[in-house]
Amino acid sequence: MADTSIPLKINDLYKSFNDTPVLKGLSLDARKGDVITLIGASGSGKSTFLRCMNLLEMPDQGDIVVHGEPIKFKFDKHGRQPSDWKQVERIRSKLSMVFQNFNLWPHMTLLENVIEAPIHVLGQPKDKARANGLSLLERVGLAERASYYPTQLSGGQQQRGAIARALAMDPEVMLFDEPTSALDPELVGDVLEVMRELADEGRTMVVVTHEMDFARDVSNHVMFLHQGVIEEQGAPEQVLSHPKSERLKQFLSPRY
Amino acid sequence: MLDLHGYGYRLLEGGLLTLELAILSLILAVILGLVTASAKLSSSIVIRAIAKAYTLVIRGVPDLVLMMLLFYGGQIGINMATDWLYYEFDVDIFVNVDAFVAGVITIGIIFGAYMSETFRGAFMAVDGGLLEAARAYGMRPWTVFRRIRFPLMMRHALPGLSNNWMVLLKTTALVSIIGLSDMVKVAAEATKATHEPFLFMIPVALGYLAISSVSEWCFMKLKARYDVGFGAEGASWNN
Repeated sequence: MADTSIPLKINDLYKSFNDTPVLKGLSLDARKGDVITLIGASGSGKSTFLRCMNLLEMPDQGDIVVHGEPIKFKFDKHGRQPSDWKQVERIRSKLSMVFQNFNLWPHMTLLENVIEAPIHVLGQPKDKARANGLSLLERVGLAERASYYPTQLSGGQQQRGAIARALAMDPEVMLFDEPTSALDPELVGDVLEVMRELADEGRTMVVVTHEMDFARDVSNHVMFLHQGVIEEQGAPEQVLSHPKSERLKQFLSPRY
Repeated sequence: MLDLHGYGYRLLEGGLLTLELAILSLILAVILGLVTASAKLSSSIVIRAIAKAYTLVIRGVPDLVLMMLLFYGGQIGINMATDWLYYEFDVDIFVNVDAFVAGVITIGIIFGAYMSETFRGAFMAVDGGLLEAARAYGMRPWTVFRRIRFPLMMRHALPGLSNNWMVLLKTTALVSIIGLSDMVKVAAEATKATHEPFLFMIPVALGYLAISSVSEWCFMKLKARYDVGFGAEGASWNN
């Protein structure tokens, strides 16, 4: 039953906020090397869907299976809860998230940000984490910024640093929550370039984005969400160039 | 040379007592303040209510009254408990409420209530996204607190904390009513005996001032420590 070769499998996920349903039965299979983009208007539920994958939001119903291991839930007076937080923490450490607002810890240097979770979650020795962290910062073009604090960096640099922080966990799946939405237009390119390289080397990624070019060129599967359901999905050229549903056509049409 | 009529050594001892009392009370107050602040931010309505009741009672009653209530009431309570143990189980113990311990506990409890408000505000000032990032990377709640939440919170708490400390330091003078010989008590006795108030009260004032000045310096160092990364490095003005 459990296919351990699939890094991330979501089955029939439901989520409501105060009785307002926002996710209505969403499923997703991320196979190794898949780059899945979630698109849709704001309020369509795409970010909530992503945040349910690592339980930053608690889904009311549905399964999350990471490498064949389903997250265990129980019901108590607060509703549905994970029955084993240790398992949740272990699974979260395999699903690194990159946030819209970067969320680098401001009291730590860039390198300290990158090595924080490897040391305090994975238990890596400090010098190993440091060496690895420095090489990751070099990869995202920030080697000479290792000892800078986040406030001393531009948005694009912060987001590339956040990607290095995510990579330092050597995650099974990387979750990107609108990674370029908070950036000035001229800084978007560098971040997308780093993400493209990650895709090329076979990283499994789920990306919530408004960058249609990225969805078209980099991802191998596009999901269009509308009011909490998957309205249309498939290969990018099919979904983005030959949309079937009226709503997707509207969403893709240039507005000005 | 200044002639303190032989009270010099006792005055110094009193100063030391003031300092010990203040530091131990501060430690207790910080712990109580952190626990109460967390309770106030808890999702459980019962825990929140208990924390609220604690701050309401403590902040609404004069320190002097609380100190006597806790000192005498504490002794009566303990006596009742030991009596009960003796009659029920034939266990004979005698616990005397030590005035110093009572002083530390009372001042700790009083200032814990004030600290809890300082910490609550400071906890709320921390950007939730930063904690979310920590959780998203699999950190345990204690790791999130120790590595992320606490250091970020401290930056907001320090001004209030240092203010509370200064008030706490001076509140220690109240312990003379439960029989402790702090700086003020010794100076008051000496004044009564010699009719030379300035000779004793000015050194006491200077003693408090000295402790305050050293604290000011410590808080400055702490501020520099927790401001790291927030623009003090000269890059930007934000936050």
